[in-house]
Amino acid sequence: MTAGRILALGWMLAGTALPAQERPQVPDPATRAFDLERRGQHGAAAEIYRTMLASRPADLGALLGLERSLTPQNKVADMVPSVRRALSGGDPSGALFGIAVRVYAVAGMADSVRPIVDRWVASEPGSEAPYQEWGSAALGARDRIQAKAAYLLGRGRLGRDALAAELAQLATIESDYETAVREWLVAVEKTPAYRSAAVSLLAQAAVAGRPTVLRQLDQAKTRPAERIAATLTIRWGDPVGGIRRIERAMPVLAEQSIEALQDGLDEIRGQAGREFGMAKGIALELLGAKAPGQATRYWLESAQAYADAGDQGSARRMLSRLAADPKASPTMAASATSTLVTVLVAEGKMEEATKQFGQLKAVLAEEERAGLQVRLAEGWIRAGKLDRAEQAVAEDSTVDGLAVRGRIRLYLGDLGQASSLMRFAGPFAGARDASVSRTTALSLIQVIDEDSLPALGGALLKLERRDSAGAAAALEQVAAMLPPDRGGAEVLLLAGRVHGGLGSRPDAERLFQQVCGLKIPASAAAAGYELARILVATDRKALAIERLEELLVAYPTSAVAPQARRLLDVAKGAIPPG
Amino acid sequence: MMRRRRFLEIGAASLAAATRWPQAGTPRRLADHFLVPMDETQSDHLKAYGLTYRLLARGGKAEWFLNYRAGSFLLPGDSATARDAALAGVTIEPVDSGTVFQIKAEIAQANMDAVPLEKAPKVAVYAPPSAAPWDDAVTMSLQYAGIEFEKIWDEEVVGDKLRTFDWLHLHHEDFTGQYSKFFLNYNGAPWLQDMVERNERMARKLGFKDVPADKRAVAFAIHQFVDRGGFLFAMCTATETLDLALASDGVDIAASFADGTPMDGNATSKMDWDRALAFQGARLEQSPSMALYSDIDGHQVNSPDRRQPLGSFTLFNFSAKIDPVATMLVQNHRQVIPDFYGLTTSFMKNRLKPGITVLADEPGAPWAKYIRGERGQGTWAFFGGHDPEDPQHQIGDAPTDLSLHPHSPGYRLLLNNVLFPAAKKKELKT
Repeated sequence: MTAGRILALGWMLAGTALPAQERPQVPDPATRAFDLERRGQHGAAAEIYRTMLASRPADLGALLGLERSLTPQNKVADMVPSVRRALSGGDPSGALFGIAVRVYAVAGMADSVRPIVDRWVASEPGSEAPYQEWGSAALGARDRIQAKAAYLLGRGRLGRDALAAELAQLATIESDYETAVREWLVAVEKTPAYRSAAVSLLAQAAVAGRPTVLRQLDQAKTRPAERIAATLTIRWGDPVGGIRRIERAMPVLAEQSIEALQDGLDEIRGQAGREFGMAKGIALELLGAKAPGQATRYWLESAQAYADAGDQGSARRMLSRLAADPKASPTMAASATSTLVTVLVAEGKMEEATKQFGQLKAVLAEEERAGLQVRLAEGWIRAGKLDRAEQAVAEDSTVDGLAVRGRIRLYLGDLGQASSLMRFAGPFAGARDASVSRTTALSLIQVIDEDSLPALGGALLKLERRDSAGAAAALEQVAAMLPPDRGGAEVLLLAGRVHGGLGSRPDAERLFQQVCGLKIPASAAAAGYELARILVATDRKALAIERLEELLVAYPTSAVAPQARRLLDVAKGAIPPG
Repeated sequence: MMRRRRFLEIGAASLAAATRWPQAGTPRRLADHFLVPMDETQSDHLKAYGLTYRLLARGGKAEWFLNYRAGSFLLPGDSATARDAALAGVTIEPVDSGTVFQIKAEIAQANMDAVPLEKAPKVAVYAPPSAAPWDDAVTMSLQYAGIEFEKIWDEEVVGDKLRTFDWLHLHHEDFTGQYSKFFLNYNGAPWLQDMVERNERMARKLGFKDVPADKRAVAFAIHQFVDRGGFLFAMCTATETLDLALASDGVDIAASFADGTPMDGNATSKMDWDRALAFQGARLEQSPSMALYSDIDGHQVNSPDRRQPLGSFTLFNFSAKIDPVATMLVQNHRQVIPDFYGLTTSFMKNRLKPGITVLADEPGAPWAKYIRGERGQGTWAFFGGHDPEDPQHQIGDAPTDLSLHPHSPGYRLLLNNVLFPAAKKKELKT
């Protein structure tokens, strides 16, 4: 919609919105017609507009209303006589010329469009609107060649930077990326607000065309080019590259650097994944350097982003900078220390983390304190110090705390207490993977009669501490101690899965075969499925098909049946691999 | 009153008994019949077609209850069927003869019909030997459902092998011989080079001067297959280009990259639409660089300024007893289905020949999505679009995994076509 058309519509709406005390009892025709339009009764609305035009042929509001009402009925061409009458009376406005161009184009009267455009140009010599409307109408009539001719004619008459956005859009549609970039840069230099349109259209470039877009932008070496290039780089899946591009362009961007970084952060916001976390950390670090007044806040957020992305070194670097800043407020310092505790736990520096936490504990909010206690406990578990872990959450009655205490009891072999604590914690505490692993552990404990089984706890602790080979061997020994239907089969299945995770397929296969032979329904079905997975992965598909068909016939209601059917489809080649 | 625990024990015991299928030997009778419901209770709509097809392939008999529970099947209650259903994850309901009688009474009184299915049709898919199964919706659905088919290509079609098949599927083949008009936009892409080389080699082997001539000969052989009584199902661009090839005998409609000479500037006026199956009066696209052929397609996906957005299409409701063929082709548990693009997505109604049956369209839009008609002794159905579960479908997209779409209403429409030729001939009244 052109500016002229927007103004005309606004004018018509303003006419229909009189103050209440002045509103006549019977709504005027324009109001009635507009109401009918809003209710979707376009035919009735068009009739009223036609009646209005009979007495006032050049009534712009009625002409625009008629055009709007006829558009959904696909009858815009029917208003050619009305437009002719309106044009013949006196001095047509730009808005009326606009209507004429659109209507003649829809009616397929290409020959009549050009004279209208010429009259319009004569009345508004410096305006881009006639060419914009002509080009847009030609595009609507699916005539790209005509649209391009209209824009180029306008440019020829109005100068090098005229109609750049229109030509850019056309070039983008035609996948002519060199022209598209060149024209967008002209358009954005002239009207910076076009930048988001440029980004959003160029972002749709085909993968093969993207290097051309970036190369063209590189060559321009202007501020708009650098900013568009950075945003596109992020949008095309390289967030770190995008932020680094801004960093490199800072001498060119100068005072626009902060805005460019904030744009970059806006692009990254809400995106998950390590790369996005790293990009966020870098952007915030750069912002901290560029905006000294807010440096501490940016450094803290940067440290958190780095820590979340797993780059503990960069997180620690930010925190040290923050700690050395005398201007940091006590709240900011506390938040920094809290982040530092997380970083230290991730690095396995448990004594130092505990010491930092001890100094900070009193000033932390309850929720934050509980969260850090859980992290400390998890760190101590990974360090194999279960007593220290238990100490860290001894007074914690949050669900996350209960869940961790349950895990500690499990690793100590206290199955009864572990089961109670895990039940108290419920299925939703903590992150999803922790919740799944807790539910799995609970289902394992439930089939075991013993209340205390330190050997099982020890084996599971090895698993937690990433000693998978030791855990698998220990689990096999535990399984041998238990009756098959009272946990033996389940523990053996777990041992097989651990071997599988280690890539030790012969051992995994041996254990899964063994579990299948025990014929304990849930374990046997799961083991059959695991075995079939190995058979498919090692290209023994016929055997896998046989195994899966046996499973589905013997245990049709098993929890693994849907996955087994899917694997059967894979083995038979009925669905794409992977 | 039965206590809850006791009730559950009995239920569990019957379930266990019902699911202990014999694994070999003569099929044992487990129930009078199995009803395969095709309404929302079905756990895998697509594999239900495979279950029915395999029963027919084993020599069994089935019935298709049109419009009853969204097009259910009645299968014999034997152990082989039960085992097959368990493996495929298809929901079946054991029913006794009394219940079947009641169902048939209900069918007799409503807009429903029971169509006997007697013979598994012999299915052919027209595709180059190298084609991956994952780029053709019908091949994917046949593979997923477990329906046997044979791939054939130009040599088999021109060599009259079509006589040995009941049902033929065409997908995104370009019967104008212009490689889907990707030649200019994807110039240099290895897959395109392979396609060009393979087609040129085949044209030479069969003695044609160029690929467009080869494809036109293939189109005519397919036309003869339908004339003789074959069932043709085509999707995507195969629909439009098949008719363009048929209607352009003696007219050069191929760009110079395909046959060395530019397209005849007056090709549109020289087309003989009497030869075509579905379309008439179309205006041909003259530009060799635009990956579209004519104004038959309503959506024009590859034309940036003419491309129409996707909506939803609605299946028509036919009278099952008067028009069982159309009714069979639209059996579904959904009446409104999201649309999907293809090189040919839809068919402008003003380009359809008189007498063509529209099976589905987008209300208010000038195009139809799914059409059928008859020619000679045979019948054909055209379905626009490439992949019902990949609405945008770009070259290089990951293949669709139908195990993630077991209830796909779009794919059901494809499989209706496969079972349709299994229906006993005397039941086909149109």
